Amino acid sequence: MSHTESQDIEQATTSIAPSQPDDKTRRYDRQLRIWAASGQAALESSRILLVSSSATSTSILKNLVLPGIGHFSILDSTITSPADAGNNFFLNAKESIGKPRAQEAVPLLRELNESVQGEAVLKDVNELLSTDQGKDWISGFSIVIAHNLDKGTLEQLSTLLWSNPNGPPLITVRSAGFLAEFHIQYHEHCVSQSHSETAPSLRITRPFPALLEWARSLDLANMDPTTHGHIPFVVILVRLVDEWRKSHNGDLPKTAAEKKEFKNQILALKIKPDEENFDEAEAQAWRVWSEPAIPSDVQSLFSLSPLPSTSDSSAPARHTTFHALLGTLADFTKDPSGPGTLPLSATLPDMKSDTESYVKLQNLYREWAEVEKTKFKELFAKKHPELAQTANPEEVDTFVKNSHHLRVLRGKQWGAFDQNREALADALMMSPKETATHLGLSALTNLLAKDPDASNVTAETLRTEVVSIIGESVDLPEEVDAALGEIARAPTADIPNMAAFLGGLVAQEAIKMITEQYVPLNGYCIVDLVDSWTGVVG
Amino acid sequence: MAAAAVVNGNASSGDWEGRYYHVDQILDRPGPRTDPSFLAGDEVKDFLRTKCKILVIGAGGLGCEILANLALSGFKDIHVIDMDTIDISNLNRQFLFRPKDVGKSKAIVAAEFIMNRVPGVKVTPYFGKIQDKDEDYYMQFNLVICGLDSVEARRWINATLVNMVDPENPESLKPLIDGGTEGFKGQARVILPTVTSCYECSLDMLNKPTAFPICTIANTPRLPEHCIEWASVLEWPRVHGDKKMDTDNPEHIQWLYQVALRRAQEFKIEGVTYSLTQGVVKNIIPAIASTNAIIAASCCNEAFKIATSSAAYLNNYFMLIGTDGVYSYTFEHEKRDDCPVCGGESLDITISKEWTVDRLIEMLVERQDIQIKKPSLSTPGKQIYFQAPPQLEEATRPNLEKKVSELVPDGGEITVTATTLPFSLSLRVKYT
Repeated sequence: MSHTESQDIEQATTSIAPSQPDDKTRRYDRQLRIWAASGQAALESSRILLVSSSATSTSILKNLVLPGIGHFSILDSTITSPADAGNNFFLNAKESIGKPRAQEAVPLLRELNESVQGEAVLKDVNELLSTDQGKDWISGFSIVIAHNLDKGTLEQLSTLLWSNPNGPPLITVRSAGFLAEFHIQYHEHCVSQSHSETAPSLRITRPFPALLEWARSLDLANMDPTTHGHIPFVVILVRLVDEWRKSHNGDLPKTAAEKKEFKNQILALKIKPDEENFDEAEAQAWRVWSEPAIPSDVQSLFSLSPLPSTSDSSAPARHTTFHALLGTLADFTKDPSGPGTLPLSATLPDMKSDTESYVKLQNLYREWAEVEKTKFKELFAKKHPELAQTANPEEVDTFVKNSHHLRVLRGKQWGAFDQNREALADALMMSPKETATHLGLSALTNLLAKDPDASNVTAETLRTEVVSIIGESVDLPEEVDAALGEIARAPTADIPNMAAFLGGLVAQEAIKMITEQYVPLNGYCIVDLVDSWTGVVG
Repeated sequence: MAAAAVVNGNASSGDWEGRYYHVDQILDRPGPRTDPSFLAGDEVKDFLRTKCKILVIGAGGLGCEILANLALSGFKDIHVIDMDTIDISNLNRQFLFRPKDVGKSKAIVAAEFIMNRVPGVKVTPYFGKIQDKDEDYYMQFNLVICGLDSVEARRWINATLVNMVDPENPESLKPLIDGGTEGFKGQARVILPTVTSCYECSLDMLNKPTAFPICTIANTPRLPEHCIEWASVLEWPRVHGDKKMDTDNPEHIQWLYQVALRRAQEFKIEGVTYSLTQGVVKNIIPAIASTNAIIAASCCNEAFKIATSSAAYLNNYFMLIGTDGVYSYTFEHEKRDDCPVCGGESLDITISKEWTVDRLIEMLVERQDIQIKKPSLSTPGKQIYFQAPPQLEEATRPNLEKKVSELVPDGGEITVTATTLPFSLSLRVKYT
């Protein structure tokens, strides 16, 4: 842009002096569009522990270092083998052979993002699990991830982290050749920002006063045609619902015939055939009869049973505010002076309209959403006076803003599924290939505990282990043999493509756990790269 | 180390004993679902490590991952094409690049990085466009993997590989593996040109690009996006004339942002930001390392299975949605008989007798399963409308106003071509 050319533009825009984004914002631009600054801040304050520096482990870490976690520790005393040097991208090939694997990997991972700190801890995890100091250290991370850990160690680790509801979630990963699974262990995970793609209710059948007033005040007969063709569909529907109720004892259209009649009433208001706003009103008429006062997913959260107490404490302390807000939300919907719904969402979809009407409508929604949010906060302060003082106002705002899409997940301890023969048998019927693969990998874990070099792993020995897990009374479908044969083929193989696939999947779930945005896995995710599918069981 | 003894210790390839301990567990014996044609052991390893030649198109988010996976899996002769240079916004996921590399060729930097990190692997970069290369070039590869962000480039390589298939020569069929991601979502697919559904067959599965009607932009803006479109589509050419807008130029984005912001303030519309402006004018697709890792791994896994026959390959589409749990769907996308690239049959369309040629062109641009920008139209006997060269365009321009029915009989055929697409679409027209 030459200087002379840009002058009149500068004159035209002198009042605005926005600055361009800094280097960090530019670097993270593509991910900030997914989890925003709040998600980024959560990532940057996270501390991750990886137990192992296998190819899968470093692949997972790579996908966490790149988006910018705060810190990682690799806990691994292994010495790099020729096989490690062949399948792990974050080693210096042959030069790393004979040197501590974690120590070799750390600099190659850190160079991916200079704002991430990382360290290698060249100890055996069992050593740390045997001292209180070591246990405290492990429990102090934001999340712990373990790949192909032996059974006894994994049991100890999962028990340690499960015993403390305030401890970090544990992601356990098991892979063998083309087959793999991973599990996230957490007591509870609460999500305000689920980023659901379903739009929140526009409250057409429960309009707030200013919206109803606008709808009633429309002088449809004497309006100029341009304005008529630009009335937002929301206002049209509110108007017609109001009229319908007056002539139907306060009821909404219920039967198919009534719904059809209602739609015809919309179209009958057209004064020109090309008034798209009325077509849009007809297309959106389902909102009149299909929108519940409270989405059932959110309604079900109001009757959540308390978490079963695991030790001396109960629910994770970090969710105290969320649960207090959830209780307040239930009260809000039951409050006789309230709308009988969730607080109004200020988000308005685009619609056929002129600028003035649309901006007016948007402002009405925003203002009323503020009114209801204030009311919600008053209820919150009354119900939880202390929390209301200490809670982060942003957390409260985010909660109210996303109250139409809240999610609460209740997880299980790693391994609990395998202790429940009834659940396993059901799963084997409902999801045979997923459950068969899971059972095969559990059987492999059991065999490797007795025989770490896998010399006795065959389809037959695996099958015996599967039977010992699920019981003799269950018929094993053919999917079991398909999985066991594949595991026996490559029982200790950490192949590069599977390592990369898991590296992506596990990092993705870790990011969802850390940012408390989007909805993470609940159970075991099973991966089969022979037939290229994933599934969830347990 | 149980499998160390069976490793192929070829010194010239830079291998060391035990290097392929993990992959060799797969290559030394079949699994229960492996096809009997699998030649376990040295033969398959030799093919993979000394004979197989693979092309990677794109050295970006997917490409970096693909190159690393292929190299570790044992592919030794890899070629990579990318016309782009490295930008700072690539560094959150394109893990072969560092801040010092900004401005350099992606293909060249990526190739060097892989060769440094994984000894014995040869990566040959080409810093340029796929369209620069001819059929002879593409014929040298056993497999092609695409990690592209452009629909146009995918259509081009897909049509090129379909056109290359010679039924007499099995070597002319080059499997094409294509990956794509957006945020937490992605897909990987295997295309066997002329055998399975091709990229063109599934064009209608693409999300419709958000297009705002010009009248909304000009007269009734409601969203911040409308104001940004106004700045880029209407104000830029008005103020700058023929000067081309460069969406990679921060000064240009800054200008658009300020103009859009002023318009938004005038209409009391909230939400115009620098980041949104950039997102709208560059059509930025959110991207993260993890999703790229999953999809690239899936693509490379299919390449590995095809190259080695160690397991059946994907038939033919894997779709992943990671926003709510881990959801994926594997299915067979069906071939379209009227696919202009691989179908052979003409596409039937029914239009009004009153439609002008101009209206038909509008439909060809907009229809999800066609999407041909700047189409040229002809019948077996005459030219209807040609976009280029200029003399021909001028000579055929009067036809734009004419009714299609005056130029083409009922049931007649129209051939549609476009310079960007190496194929022609054959339409059979019926009138209502």
